[in-house]
Amino acid sequence: MITGFQRFTLIARIAFVAVLSIPVLAGVVGVLFPAFGYFPALGSDSFNATGFAQLFAVDGIGVMIGLSLLTGVSATLLATLGALSLLAVFYQSRYLQKIQRLFSPLLVLPHAGVAIALLFILSPSGLVARMVDVLGLTHSSGVTNIYWFFPYDNYGIAITLGLALKELPFILLIALGVLSQPQIARKVHGYYQSASALGYSPSTIFCKTVLPLLYPQIRLPLLAVLAFATANVEIPLLLGSNYPPTLSVAVVQWFNHVDLSMRFMGSAAAVVQLLVTVFALLIWFVSEQGIYRCRHLIYLSGESYIRRGILKTFAYSLCGLYGAMSLAVVYAVLLWSFATYWTFPNLLPDGITTLHWQTAWRGVAPALGNTLLLGIIVSAVALIMTVMTLESETVQIESRWLPMNNRFFVVVLFLPLLVPGVAFLYGLVWFQQRFFPQGEWGPLFVTHLVYVLPYVFISLAVAYRKLDARYIQVAYGMGKTPWQVFRAIKLPMLFNPLLVAFALGLAISFSQYLPTLLSTGGRIPTITTEAVALASGSSYRLTAVYVVLQAILPWLGFLLAWWLPKRFFNPSTQANSVIGNPVYDTKAG
Amino acid sequence: MTLKLDNLAIYNKNSAGKRPLLEVNVEIKAGEVVSIMGPSGSGKSSLLNAIAGQLREPFKQTGCIYLNTALIDDLPPYKRKIGVLYQDPLLFEHMNVGENIAFAMVQNKQIAASQRQTRIAAMLESVGLADMATRPVHSLSGGQQARVALLRTLAASPSAVLLDEPFSKLDINTRGQMRKWVFEQLLKRQLPTLMVTHDKQDAIAAGGRIIELPPC
Repeated sequence: MITGFQRFTLIARIAFVAVLSIPVLAGVVGVLFPAFGYFPALGSDSFNATGFAQLFAVDGIGVMIGLSLLTGVSATLLATLGALSLLAVFYQSRYLQKIQRLFSPLLVLPHAGVAIALLFILSPSGLVARMVDVLGLTHSSGVTNIYWFFPYDNYGIAITLGLALKELPFILLIALGVLSQPQIARKVHGYYQSASALGYSPSTIFCKTVLPLLYPQIRLPLLAVLAFATANVEIPLLLGSNYPPTLSVAVVQWFNHVDLSMRFMGSAAAVVQLLVTVFALLIWFVSEQGIYRCRHLIYLSGESYIRRGILKTFAYSLCGLYGAMSLAVVYAVLLWSFATYWTFPNLLPDGITTLHWQTAWRGVAPALGNTLLLGIIVSAVALIMTVMTLESETVQIESRWLPMNNRFFVVVLFLPLLVPGVAFLYGLVWFQQRFFPQGEWGPLFVTHLVYVLPYVFISLAVAYRKLDARYIQVAYGMGKTPWQVFRAIKLPMLFNPLLVAFALGLAISFSQYLPTLLSTGGRIPTITTEAVALASGSSYRLTAVYVVLQAILPWLGFLLAWWLPKRFFNPSTQANSVIGNPVYDTKAG
Repeated sequence: MTLKLDNLAIYNKNSAGKRPLLEVNVEIKAGEVVSIMGPSGSGKSSLLNAIAGQLREPFKQTGCIYLNTALIDDLPPYKRKIGVLYQDPLLFEHMNVGENIAFAMVQNKQIAASQRQTRIAAMLESVGLADMATRPVHSLSGGQQARVALLRTLAASPSAVLLDEPFSKLDINTRGQMRKWVFEQLLKRQLPTLMVTHDKQDAIAAGGRIIELPPC
């Protein structure tokens, strides 16, 4: 027997699954049709493989595929090893929180922003080259030899570096989230205690006992990172070589080509991109199996000072790298945004001006308005759907057709992160042009929601499921209905994590590049699309302004999430000001 | 009021064999406190969850639960009117002391809205917490919070009460007093009560029957 409210949460759960799966699956179908020659709008309504034939005749197609695969896999591997070694060295140390803070600037800055910031720092005229020159480490001024690979190198090193730098903080965050779950934290604590009694050091304990427990929990997010890295567009677009680009960038170029017949080849390339991602996942699976087979070697290898030393050095260098990077990013981007000129190799601009901010200010209003409006609506809807879906988990019901099965649900949750955007977004556009040619905001909203929902859910799920069930039982014991418990107990008690999830939703929506560009055909600009457009143009200084905005917007969200509960929700001051009417008034409930 | 557990058995679906985790057959009379004692893992908490209607996978139950003569097995938890008191007071931190009690009291239709504040003040005064209604809950000591928790449970006028290791987190000095006071209150209201504990002193002080569960 369930209440109307509970029935509503179950419906919301179905809607949640539908919103995540239908656009992705429809998008994949929608890219398959034109890939195999079916595109009535372009006068082709029979199936053929011309698109693929064209694609494989393209010069350098093998390199494009190889670049996507190589950069994706190596960046994910680097980021994973980095995040795990940081955890191994610092998880039990008191520096853990400080380290999280050190890595957060690159966490909130969108991919496009990170790529642009890296250009400011590492390009041949960037900050590092300037420092090297000022310190007199090179005999000739100007372009220094040691930076030959950055950016635009043909081996994808810059891309790999950019991706790895950006993904590491995310993996770290996910792993820390897992380790904070009470049942896991308790186990991990026990492992550390019993293994240190056996004489193992904290970092060895982590690798031999905690990691086997942690890895299965972070595996799906890791696979999502891998899928994402193989198909990302912003970073290869801004840091990679133009010829040949990675496959994902090529897909975008072909789709945006004035010659519409390129769409057949573009669709075929999107399908191949999907296969590349699948292949990358396979490589990962096989490697996992390999390591799993040798696990006894790892478990029983004892304590090794050399390995520990290497691990420690790696972890400390990473901290140094990220610390230096964060500082350099702030320094370079802020100064560029106020610079009149900044001649090489000076470490300071020639003069300071607010001109670029004024220029940006005049043009930024529509983009800023779009960004905020879209972000707020999408995050609010995502938050409501997420809360309802989490609440539906408390409904005790046996049903064959409801998506209550956990494994199925988790796969659906990660579906938009596992299927490359370039593969399904174009298909979605194909559907949209075929059936709803007028809409712009609608498709934009849907594509953003598809990306925002999983993050909002992941962010909120831990806190929601962690809420002490005994509070709920206490309220049920008083005769409170599920709705009353939800409104008067759960929502107020989870006010803080709800706001954080909302802020994360904003940050994710702000950072979307490809979905924004594709679903609107570029007709609705946002801060991120403008930043990328400017970065591939000429003005370093105007671009810097947009990167600052890209960084500030998500920070504002998180700042509000941190400040609001303190201001309005301190139980000792004004408990009821946020909830409105007194909590014990049942008429409203 | 009586609370009757008629061959109530709890099973763990994951554990091999058809043997139940525990099996209880008892009728608790009004004002009686029946104690269940057993080692950890014997299924005591699952038993309370089953009675409260909150038993979750992988556990499952057979048998019947009656309040007076009414079968409550199929009722959702919020319709069972069974109050639970845990070892932690679990006061709602976003409400002050008075609101915590009022939140429960609105479920008791016999108390008119206009009388609530005076009733709450009187309840608090009777347990030595006069003028604390507007205090935030975290400013109270552990013992004070425990008293408010019982007041809150009683304010909803439950039909039966479950106690889950209710005194295990109190220090030795307050524990004896608290025990005495809780059992007095329950007796005064003639509530059938089931307590799980592994403190023999609790069970003796309760003065009712004691059911010892075998280790499994």
